[in-house]
Amino acid sequence: MSRQHSPIKLGVELAHDDVAAAVDCAVEAERLGLDLVVVPSTSSGPDGWSLVSWIAGRTDRIGLVAGIDPAQRNLGVLGRASTSLDRLSGGRLTLELHPSPEISPAEALTVLRRMWDTSTRRVRHDGAIKLAGAEPGPLPAHDIRIWMSGDVELAGSTADGWHGRLDDPDQLAQNLQLLRKSAEKADRDPHELERVITLTTWDDVDAMTTLVTEHGVTAFILRIDENSPEGLLERFVQEIAPRLREAGRQAVADGALTPSPVRRAEIRARRVSGIDYDGLPAHLAANAVEPGDALYNSIRSNYLRGGSPGLILRPQSVSDVVDAVAFARRHRHIPLGIRSGGHGVSGRSTNDGGLVIDVGALNDIEVLDRDRRLVRIGPGARWRDVATALQPYGWALGSGDHGGVGVGGLATAGGIGYLSRKHGLTIDHLQSVDMVLADGTTVRAGRSENPELFWAVRGAGANFGIVTSFEFVVDEVSDVGWAQLAFHVSDPEEFLLKFGETVAATPRDTTPFLIMNGSTAHVMAMVASDDPDEILAQLRPIAQIAPLVQQQVVIAPYAAVMNMFPESPHQAFGEPVSRSGLVTSITPGFAAVSARLLDSGAVHWFQLRSMGGAIADVEPDATAFAHRDAAFQITAMGSNAQRVDREWDRLRPYFSGIYTSFEADNSPQRLTEAFPPPTLARLRKLKEQLDPTGLFRDNFPLTDSHSVGSPA
Amino acid sequence: MTDYGHDLMFGTFVTPIAQPVQHAVQQAVLADRLGLDLVTFQDHPYVSRFHDTWTLIPYAAARTERVRLTANVTNLPLRFPAQLARSVATLDRLTGGRIELGLGAGGFWDAIEAMGGRRLRPGEALTALEEGVQIIRGVWDTSTPGGLTVDGKFHAVRGAKRGPAPAHRPSIWIGGYKPRMLRTIGTIADGWLPSAQNLRGGIEDLARGSEIIDEAAESAGRRPQDVRRLLNLTGDFDDTSRGFLQGPPDQWVEELTDLALTYGTSVFILFSDDPGMTEMFAKEVAPAVRDEVRKARGTTS
Ligand SMILES: Cc1cc2nc3c(=O)[nH]c(=O)nc-3n(C[C@H](O)[C@H](O)[C@H](O)COP(=O)(O)OP(=O)(O)OC[C@H]3O[C@@H](n4cnc5c(N)ncnc54)[C@H](O)[C@@H]3O)c2cc1C
Repeated sequence: MSRQHSPIKLGVELAHDDVAAAVDCAVEAERLGLDLVVVPSTSSGPDGWSLVSWIAGRTDRIGLVAGIDPAQRNLGVLGRASTSLDRLSGGRLTLELHPSPEISPAEALTVLRRMWDTSTRRVRHDGAIKLAGAEPGPLPAHDIRIWMSGDVELAGSTADGWHGRLDDPDQLAQNLQLLRKSAEKADRDPHELERVITLTTWDDVDAMTTLVTEHGVTAFILRIDENSPEGLLERFVQEIAPRLREAGRQAVADGALTPSPVRRAEIRARRVSGIDYDGLPAHLAANAVEPGDALYNSIRSNYLRGGSPGLILRPQSVSDVVDAVAFARRHRHIPLGIRSGGHGVSGRSTNDGGLVIDVGALNDIEVLDRDRRLVRIGPGARWRDVATALQPYGWALGSGDHGGVGVGGLATAGGIGYLSRKHGLTIDHLQSVDMVLADGTTVRAGRSENPELFWAVRGAGANFGIVTSFEFVVDEVSDVGWAQLAFHVSDPEEFLLKFGETVAATPRDTTPFLIMNGSTAHVMAMVASDDPDEILAQLRPIAQIAPLVQQQVVIAPYAAVMNMFPESPHQAFGEPVSRSGLVTSITPGFAAVSARLLDSGAVHWFQLRSMGGAIADVEPDATAFAHRDAAFQITAMGSNAQRVDREWDRLRPYFSGIYTSFEADNSPQRLTEAFPPPTLARLRKLKEQLDPTGLFRDNFPLTDSHSVGSPA
Repeated sequence: MTDYGHDLMFGTFVTPIAQPVQHAVQQAVLADRLGLDLVTFQDHPYVSRFHDTWTLIPYAAARTERVRLTANVTNLPLRFPAQLARSVATLDRLTGGRIELGLGAGGFWDAIEAMGGRRLRPGEALTALEEGVQIIRGVWDTSTPGGLTVDGKFHAVRGAKRGPAPAHRPSIWIGGYKPRMLRTIGTIADGWLPSAQNLRGGIEDLARGSEIIDEAAESAGRRPQDVRRLLNLTGDFDDTSRGFLQGPPDQWVEELTDLALTYGTSVFILFSDDPGMTEMFAKEVAPAVRDEVRKARGTTS
């Protein structure tokens, strides 16, 4: 697919008086596979903005170009309205500023871009347009491009595109030359500009292809109204669209056109050295985000880790992922992060100056077989979305305690969640995965196909490739009991001991997680039952561990628990300091040292996730996640690594291993704790086969870092 | 104390939050599916947490089938009246007559000024509103020949081309509380749209307000029933009663029926971003209030 990309965009311009006919035409254009629908602004008659917003609601894919007369609107409000439309439509908006005697399109362009720049808190502007401290934002879904019609020189020096008409070919050629000159005069790369031509009919297709190859025209728009001849649009699509697209491919091959518009100079100025930005395949380039882009600030960082990557690739398909991996192979000298939901702790899915392959867009959730409860889930889906999608079937798939976590990172590592004692780890539900390997091949791994890889993916997946889809058999899960209990704790040591004993005696329906914090302890517990008596019976022993200061028990869908935390942009700074340990029971020694750690003030977060139950039904060598005998997973987080480790090291003698997902320390010692010797040996052998150069290295890399490649 | 005899309408008042992106749209789709009559969105163009309301409305309208939509209420100081009129008319045509126009004179002047709007004193804002309504109705009126000229102090058009004509006559519902505003409403508006929580003197303010509106309507040669009485409401469903619209659905039915029969309120708009609450309102409250009011009015359907 990506090989066939043409830089040429084709569209319709809606010139109808009858808005219903205009909408039909837009829907038809999308059905016919066109790229753009242009809604011009007029000084009377139907309002273009309302029409284009309505069309956004009636289409899914086609790009939307809204014509704007800057004098007819408050430009601050238009900035916000554009953001709304871009977000509602999933990043499909382009603006086209029409000439206006009252307000220069150049001034409007400046104001609009500033309204979209959330790095400042207030926008002030004092010209024909006046803003006296407007709130910018929210951030659009993509970089909204601004075209201009009319004044060629103004467009050449300021805009992202110029929109002219085909009426007079000589005049047009002159204009296109002027456009190039004024771009160059303004120190711009002429390829920053899109060149958009409207036509009402055509006779000489060769002349049109010449516009592409010689003048760099990038888009052709067919103007349609009620009086256009029947079937004009189909003929445009069938007869000339293929030739124009082919001319575009040719122009790219000849170097006359770039695969997609070149970014503005001020954006390119923020590129980091050592990345071949201009060598990105077109499909990837279309969604890639680099440091100067408006979107960058909202996606550079993770939930817990700050980052400043040099380039974020956002593949939209498996073949895009293959291309992204090839691009990564050419960039061995900079860090590589693989990102799904961005909640990584051990996984460095963002970095400084490196490359990030973000598969967040691969987020489909699809039921494949109702009888078997077989579900296919993309790595970019979040667990809250999975829970919400499965709820109508009366199903659930346990993950963890936070619905914002991504499928990709968790389902390749383990997945210790509120249903784990009853139904096992998330990886225990896996039937197969589709992956892109380091050499770019795509494989499926399951029990019969590539079984060794399938074994490895379930615990150490990040080492072997990028999973592009997971197939799980999910569980039938009724509404569940959901308890939030807060205790007053006078003696943390005693509390931990009692908690350990109680959980050991609790039926596997119930999975409690404990957070200790000074003199209070919070227990969140799920009981996989919708019988109130049963729920209370299972919770009662836990509630009796210490005096309760707060309690709430409800019966709710599993999805409601996963939707407890709403989505918010990831804006972390710095590195998380997080440590993991697994214990097979809570011993007096462990409890005493833990109490001391809590007392030290070195950690601000200390959490126990109960394990055991169904997790332990699986043999240790059945998956790369081997610590099947663990009773609890302990997480500690603090702000100073040295202080945390000083206390945490005292606990290490009690650990039977660690769970990769909560461990941010990347010293080699941790690797041997995550994977016991037979598991580690097996993993290393497979790594040698599938990723001998250690391309995938952002999360407990099995290849030691010294052998990692040299600059390209 | 009048019942103006209008058909009842039930709707929701949805916060147009920009994140999650589709939240407000989903609320509209839900209201549509539940058979509510109306979905309304606040319009505060200076707040970056919100979607632009007159962009959200067309998008949400495209995803619904029969529910009516409006801003509650449109911030006129940041919208150009002629443009707003075209936008409402365009949408009204696209939706087959599902758009109404809630209008307000504006209130948060610092924020309006920050966005490039002009700071107006209350009296001026009212004049601007009157001029705005004149322009809006003028644009919609394609049966009068010739261009539209309104030589207002704050809003002016000269020889503007009229149209498009909306598919139905969108009602202009105006929010406001002060006597001068109420007189304006009685003189020119199709409805009065206050929020219950802003009635300083409690629900009795509705009677006091309606009296002024009725008088103004009559002295302008209109009938009091030409002005609908709408009301934005907050409430909570609860097993036990804890106050006005805080209690079980039966209590709501009783209280809203009383509002309809005693104060003439005919459009009940509930603040709700909560699907459970919206569903309860649509299923347990709206039909029962309609029944009660029909019985009390002694008409059969
Ligand atoms: C608030 C919070 C709560 C958590 N709660 C739990 C819990 O209760 N139980 C639990 O088990 N874990 C829990 N975790 C840990 C979580 O499972 C891991 O951090 C996981 O890696 C996050 O997945 P992600 O896709 O969101 O992260 P990302 O940051 O996107 O990815 C993390 C790493 O996973 C790997 N990876 C990501 N996508 C892919 C892919 N498609 N193919 C191959 N490898 C990939 C990469 O190495 C990457 O660096 C929690 C984390 C946080 C921040």
